[in-house]
Formats: sequence, C-alpha cells, structure tokens
Amino acid sequence: MLTVLVFLLPRFLPGDPVGNLVDAGDADPEYVAQARAAAERSLGLDRPLPEQFGRFLNDLAHGNLGFSAGNNQSVGALLRQTVPWTVLLMGTSLVLSSFLSYRIGVAAAWRRGTVGDRAITVGSTLLHAIPDYALAMVFLVLFAVRIRLFPIVGASTPFTQSASGLYKIGDVASHLVLPVAALTLGLMGTKFLLVRNATLGALGQDYMVLARAKGLPERLLKRRHAGRNALLPFLNLVGIQVGIAFGGATFVQTVFGYPGVGPLMVAAVRGADYAVLQGCFLVAAVLVLTANLVVDVVSVGVDPRVGAR
Amino acid sequence: MAGRASGAQPHRRPVPLIGWVGAFLVLGFVVLGLIGPSVAPYGSKELAAPRQERPSDRHLLGTNKVGQDLLSQLIVGTRSSLLVAALAAAGAVTIATVVGLAAGLAGGWPDVILMRVADVTIALPRLPLLMLLGAVVGTSLIRVALVIAVVFWPGAARVLRSQVRSLRRRSHVVAARGFGAGPLRVARLHLLPEMSLVVVTVFLSAASRAVLLEAGLAFLGVGDPSRVSWGSIIRDARASPGLFYTTFWTWWILPPVVAIVLVLLGLMFLGMGFETRVNPRLSRDGALHR
Repeated sequence: MLTVLVFLLPRFLPGDPVGNLVDAGDADPEYVAQARAAAERSLGLDRPLPEQFGRFLNDLAHGNLGFSAGNNQSVGALLRQTVPWTVLLMGTSLVLSSFLSYRIGVAAAWRRGTVGDRAITVGSTLLHAIPDYALAMVFLVLFAVRIRLFPIVGASTPFTQSASGLYKIGDVASHLVLPVAALTLGLMGTKFLLVRNATLGALGQDYMVLARAKGLPERLLKRRHAGRNALLPFLNLVGIQVGIAFGGATFVQTVFGYPGVGPLMVAAVRGADYAVLQGCFLVAAVLVLTANLVVDVVSVGVDPRVGAR
Repeated sequence: MAGRASGAQPHRRPVPLIGWVGAFLVLGFVVLGLIGPSVAPYGSKELAAPRQERPSDRHLLGTNKVGQDLLSQLIVGTRSSLLVAALAAAGAVTIATVVGLAAGLAGGWPDVILMRVADVTIALPRLPLLMLLGAVVGTSLIRVALVIAVVFWPGAARVLRSQVRSLRRRSHVVAARGFGAGPLRVARLHLLPEMSLVVVTVFLSAASRAVLLEAGLAFLGVGDPSRVSWGSIIRDARASPGLFYTTFWTWWILPPVVAIVLVLLGLMFLGMGFETRVNPRLSRDGALHR
C-alpha cells in the first residue's frame, strides 16, 4: 500500500520534470516537441502508468530508486548523501531528548510544587507554542552570530579532506551541536509533561508506601518504583515522536543549511522531481517505521505484558 | 451546547483564569483577521516605500525587499493564517466525528477497518505526507486546509471513538436504543451533546497545529507563493542572505514568529480551560498535588 501511495501521488503533481529539463524559452515548437519526447523516453515517462508502476516495483526490489532529472544524479546516490545526516541529527536528538526529559520529569514529580518544578512545567508548556524553526533561529542568532561559538551553516567544513580523522570528527560534532540543541528542546516538552504526570500518578500508590516502609533509599524508590511506572507510556510517546522529529529535523536543517532528506524533499517538491519525491517519502516512512519497531521491541523488554497481548 | 453537556456533571466548574486569557488572545486575533485589510495602513502587496526600509513613523515595522509595508503584511496575513487553521480544524473534527461515531457505534469489521486506516495514517511521517499531498492537490488556502485535515483526523477520531464506546453502554443510551431509536437519532440526541466538549478541545488542538503547519509550509517555500501569510513573511526574510548578521531580523522575522506563538498560546490556554470542564479530575488532581 505504501508503495502504491508513494508511486501515484507525485504523478499528479502540477508541472512536470521534463518541462524543467527542456528549456522551452525561445526554441522552435518542433524542436521542443522532439526534445520532450526524447527526455520522456529516457526517463521512461512515455510508458502507460501500470507499466511505469511495474518498473518502479522491479527497480525498488533491486534497490534502484530511479534517476533525478533535476539533480542529474541517481536518487539512490542523492539519498546516500543525505540519509546519514538526517539519521545522525534525528537519532542524537531523539535519544538526548528522551534521556533528559525522562530524568527531569521524574525529578520534577519527586519535588512537585517546588519553584524548579513549576518553572520547568510552565516552560515546557510554553515550548509547545514555539515552532521548531523559531527555536533554531534563536540558537543560530545567539550561539553562531552573537557569540561565535559554533559554525552557522552546513554539516562539515568544506575542503578538509586531508585533515586528520580526529579533526573531522570534531568538525562534524561542532556543526551538529546547534541543530541537535534546537531539535532536542523542541522534542522535550511533551515527553517531560508525560513523565511528570505518570510519575505523579505512581506516587500515591500503595506499593510506594510499602517500599518506603521497607526503608529503601530514596534514590532506589525514585528509579525503581516511581519512575518505572512512567516508562511504558513514555516509550509509546517516543515512538509517536519519531515522525514528528522528522518534520522538526526538516525545519532545523533548513534553518542551518544542514544536509538531509527533508531539505532534499523540499527541493524536489519545488522542482516537481517525481523520482526524488518518491525516494524521500519512502525513506522517511521506512525510517519512522523502523524506529517504531525498535521502540516496540524495547517496550516488550520493559514490560512483558505488552508482548503477551 | 455547553449547557447540555454539563447536565452530565453535577457541578459546573468555573472556567479557570487561563481559559479567559486564551479566549482573550484568540478573540483578539480573530477580530484582527476579520477587520485586518481595512485597518492595515497599506495594501499587503502594495509597493509602499523604497525597499528595505528601517522601522519609521510611516512604516512601523519597516519594509521588505520590494518595498512592501511589513506591518500591513502582518495584519493582513492574520486572516489567511487563521482561516487555514479554522478550516483545517473544522475538516479534521468533522471527519473524526463521523469516523468516531461510525466506528464506535457499529463495532465489528467497520470499526476494525476504520481504525486500521487511522493507524496507518498516524504511522506515516506527517510533514513529508503533507508536502507530498500539498504538491499534488495544490497550495491554495482551501486545499492546504483540506490536506492538513486529511493528515490530522486520525488522532481525534481515536479519542472520539473510545468516548462513543464508553457512552454507548451507559443506561440512558441503552434505554433509548431499546425504545427503538436508530443509530443516527442516538448519535444526535445522546452522544453528540456529551461529546461536544471533547470535540471543542480536539478542534482547538487541531487548529493550533494547523497554524503551525501552514506557516511551516510557507516557511519551507512549498506553500502558495502569492498568498500573504505569517509564514510567507518569514520565508521572504530568510531568503535574504546574511540576515542574522544585521538587525533587520528583529522587525522582519520576529513579529510574525511572535504572532504565531501568541495564537498557539491562546488556543492552548483556551483548550486547558475547556479541559478542566471536560475532565474535572484534572483540576482536582492539580489541587491535590499542590
């Protein structure tokens, strides 16, 4: 079903890839017609739709995603250049935001009603209302323009092929800091609120009273008894957030000129580049579904009841 | 509609302060959206001044690259941003209500199929789906709203379905069916009134996401290039290289972003106000933990 959707939707796009390829500005109509026909033949667009779909499926099975007329490169090559950056940015932000919001959420529930708890709760509610690209721009202005702490644009410094491995790693890392910071902050609010509420729900339970009566140390109570309770709905939310994180990553990447699948797709929409659109959407869907699968597996590990059903 | 619904809850709770703040914000923007074009000092596409002017008495927020007055664009853009939000939210809620009622009342295979479709739609990454659909059907105001509605109905449908499923076992609904009321009559007289508050909160959250997405699409440059909205101002501004090295961004990008944030806060606060009505436990819990 996914493949049908991926194949069909771009075909209804207004505009066509051939039109962008063959400049019809001042040429003779006969010339344009011939050039169009040639371009359509070379891209396989002159065939009937079912045949195009058959070819698409066949190519897909062989790992061939087609050819991008706009970039004059195979879609596979384009994706190979962009997918790692998207995975790096999304993965780091998802893991970091999950870890932080979980720890802070449990801690806030533990110290409920204190100034710190109130401040963070109000803060994360407000975070909901700020678009990801606005966060990204704030980080850009503060830490790349005002204080020149981090690079402004891109994922690595160009022309550094000969530099040492360590330098390259440091370079990639410093380019990654601001985009990750923006995306992480954007993803934290919802998760924090959920963890805080779920933990609060556990605090009044009988087993908490019993555990406390047993004289268990506070740290153990917090981790094993109160926090655990929030883990399952939390993981659920993390799974849902993967798709949202892809969108957030697209905005953040656009602001920082960071390479990735999102910006590639935006360019493909503008250029009516079917093949790239298909490839990007497919990759986005596969990324999200894979991440969801990982979350599901982890959930079963955390709570055997999930697997039993 | 609220009066009907509160019949189920013995004590009517006052709307908390935060709800009023939200209502005030949202109402303010709605009024601005309605009267916008007539109070804006210049036309939104009028070439009113030399290009790229700093804020002055004549142009409070300066002008953009081609000399359009930014304050006027901000005011006029309110309408399209809010209109997309309202239409998209209305669309999403309508689909969700119909699906939720159908799935919840029918049960069996229609329920399974509808919820499967919802699950699949939820599992797909939203922004790429939106860009793909937007590229297919076009980016006029109504179509963007429609596309956003199509992407956002499933979450709401699930909430409403589970509500229908719990409501339909209540004794008054069972009694009504026993007296021979058909599913449509039951839905209209007994289910919809009780669902109305939930529908309102679902509408508010869908509207806030629609504001965000419409601006986001425009920001990415995949929206309608000719429509003036908050997103389009941000997009135009971002298209100028080196913007953040200058001070121009403070009156070019900041105002539309602040407008978006204020609308989102308004909708969110309003939603919180309604939520304590829908689910009195929320506020009681809050009091208990304080």
